[in-house]
Amino acid sequence: MSQQSDAPGALGATGAVAIDARGASRYYSMGETIVRAVEDVSFTIARGSFAALQGPSGSGKSTLLNLLAGLDRLTAGSILVAGRDLGTMDSEALARHRRLTVGIVFQSFNLVPTMTLADNIELPLRFAETPRNERRSRVLELLNNVGLANRAHHKPGELSGGEQQRAAIARALANRPSLLLADEPTGNLDSCNGQEVMELLRELNEKMGVTVLMVTHDPSLAARYAHTSLHMADGKLASTAEVLQ
Amino acid sequence: MNHQDLFELAARNMRNARLRNALTTMGIAVGVASMVAMLSLGIGLQGFANHQLMKSGMFQTVFVTSKQDSRRMEDNDAAKSTESPALTDDARKTITALPGVEEVAPEIRATSEVVYGDKSNFTLLAGLPWSARDEDAVEKVSGRFFSSPTADEVLLQLDFAKKLEQDPQSVLGKTLTIRYAERQGGDGTSFSIDRKEKQFRIVGLLDEQPFGGMRMISRARVFLPTQTAEAMNLLQPSDTQQLVRAAPGERTYTMLTVRMKSAAYAEQVEESVKKMNYSAYSYLDATKSIRRFFAVLDMFLGIFGSLALAVASLAIVNTLVMAVLERRREIGIMKALGASDADVKKLFFAEAATMGLVGGSLGVALGWVIGRVINLGSNFYLHKIMKMPPENLWTVPLWLVAGAIGFAVLVSVLAGIYPAARAARLDPVQALRYE
Repeated sequence: MSQQSDAPGALGATGAVAIDARGASRYYSMGETIVRAVEDVSFTIARGSFAALQGPSGSGKSTLLNLLAGLDRLTAGSILVAGRDLGTMDSEALARHRRLTVGIVFQSFNLVPTMTLADNIELPLRFAETPRNERRSRVLELLNNVGLANRAHHKPGELSGGEQQRAAIARALANRPSLLLADEPTGNLDSCNGQEVMELLRELNEKMGVTVLMVTHDPSLAARYAHTSLHMADGKLASTAEVLQ
Repeated sequence: MNHQDLFELAARNMRNARLRNALTTMGIAVGVASMVAMLSLGIGLQGFANHQLMKSGMFQTVFVTSKQDSRRMEDNDAAKSTESPALTDDARKTITALPGVEEVAPEIRATSEVVYGDKSNFTLLAGLPWSARDEDAVEKVSGRFFSSPTADEVLLQLDFAKKLEQDPQSVLGKTLTIRYAERQGGDGTSFSIDRKEKQFRIVGLLDEQPFGGMRMISRARVFLPTQTAEAMNLLQPSDTQQLVRAAPGERTYTMLTVRMKSAAYAEQVEESVKKMNYSAYSYLDATKSIRRFFAVLDMFLGIFGSLALAVASLAIVNTLVMAVLERRREIGIMKALGASDADVKKLFFAEAATMGLVGGSLGVALGWVIGRVINLGSNFYLHKIMKMPPENLWTVPLWLVAGAIGFAVLVSVLAGIYPAARAARLDPVQALRYE
């Protein structure tokens, strides 16, 4: 079960459920007190859907996202992504999960500032040991998809925030993951750039069938783009709603 | 991640902190240079000493004696020593037939009266084996060596020649007369002694004592070919001993000097001779302690030399720990993109190994240059001040080059263990949390 195949997620994932969380909990101990960052959260996200995860600051959205990304580990419960149980994975298998099954987009882009866009996008391909010649064409293709082909050899500092975030999205998609996890992807952008990024996410979701789970605290974004909306408060899931478009 | 990617990323990371990595690499270079300098001095000195010993021809020589003669010294082993046969002509032939043996010669020494013009000196005479001609054993002959193994020619010690003529060189080509005691008869119970005279031509002068002064005959003043000396039946100090001991009727030798074609045969010949129940002794035995001394010397020089490398390894730890702190976020990103703990660890090892490789190579080059300079300096001193010929006191063999670079890489990778483990342990959530 924990052994994954090398097949890219979007094409290889089985079943109609992208995420299946059952009683997922994450507690931290801060000295004497135990912080229940995520407590007993259960939900499912259908394959190919666009989901928004909403809630006030400190409600546990980012922690839940980190759990789904395989960056953090559950204290209790279980999470299945593309049918595979993250709880049973060792650190090597979790690295594989991050490498092949999910793509992560951060609020602060997290591009490596000393690398060009092309080098940044090539990083996950290096980790996946993609052959060199294949890598080059893949990087070009990805840059094309996000409209940054002419910026390939620029460093992140030379680009606008919107361009950086688009590059970060291209990087997240490098190994063709089935699930894209975005943590407030427009949080650091002005509305114009933010909209561009959102349109890109929608396009990826619709045209390439990538499941998107986006953390946001902007209800209007959720309303405009998401099929499903999850609300968190104090580490718990407050509500799940289908958004009518 | 495959190795090419690993080293590409490592090189990129090192370029990003150029000054710091360059300084650390220079530290390794200095460490390796000092190690190479120390060790090559040790190796050079050892080579120099070996060369000096080789010059004496000692490694190519085995001395054979009958155990009968050492009876009194080893009275605990009396029974065995009686079984040891005398060194007869037959034994000499057998030893000559052993593989690798070039010449078997007795050590002939005798006192004689040497007459040159109107001067007369009572002095020590010795046979010089023919095999001594083609080696450094007889150093700096002015004039020449004997023209044949049976020539009626002599070589004189330079100091002795000075006694004969104001200008020692002028004795060359002149004739001297040796008045000596000849042993006659010899049925084992008696022999008679006759006074004889023989004319010799002086063909060469010896600057130094032959065989580096390490053999009995070295102290003689007049040297003649051993075969000529044998034919003369010179009365020798050991003759009375043989007579008293009532040796068999034939001639026996007190000692035979066996010359091998090369030092490689020495051990084998020594072994064969011991099987014949004679005592055998070679300088290979004696130099064991010298070689042990050099092994210890090399070790100490190596330890002192690598102290600087130990310091440099701390600099590597420091540099990489700094890099881990500085690149926290980058490591977090790499992990988020799917780099495994092992990938992160390997990346830091690759950086450490690169510093080791570059520093090691630079260090070997630097060490070599330091060595050349010191060698030039010491040779200048030898030549100008001491009036001695130049010597190569400095040797950097290929194995030292490879070994030093390999050692630098090894030390660097060991120094990388802690920083690499720290980087691999880094929690990506923590690393990515703060701006």
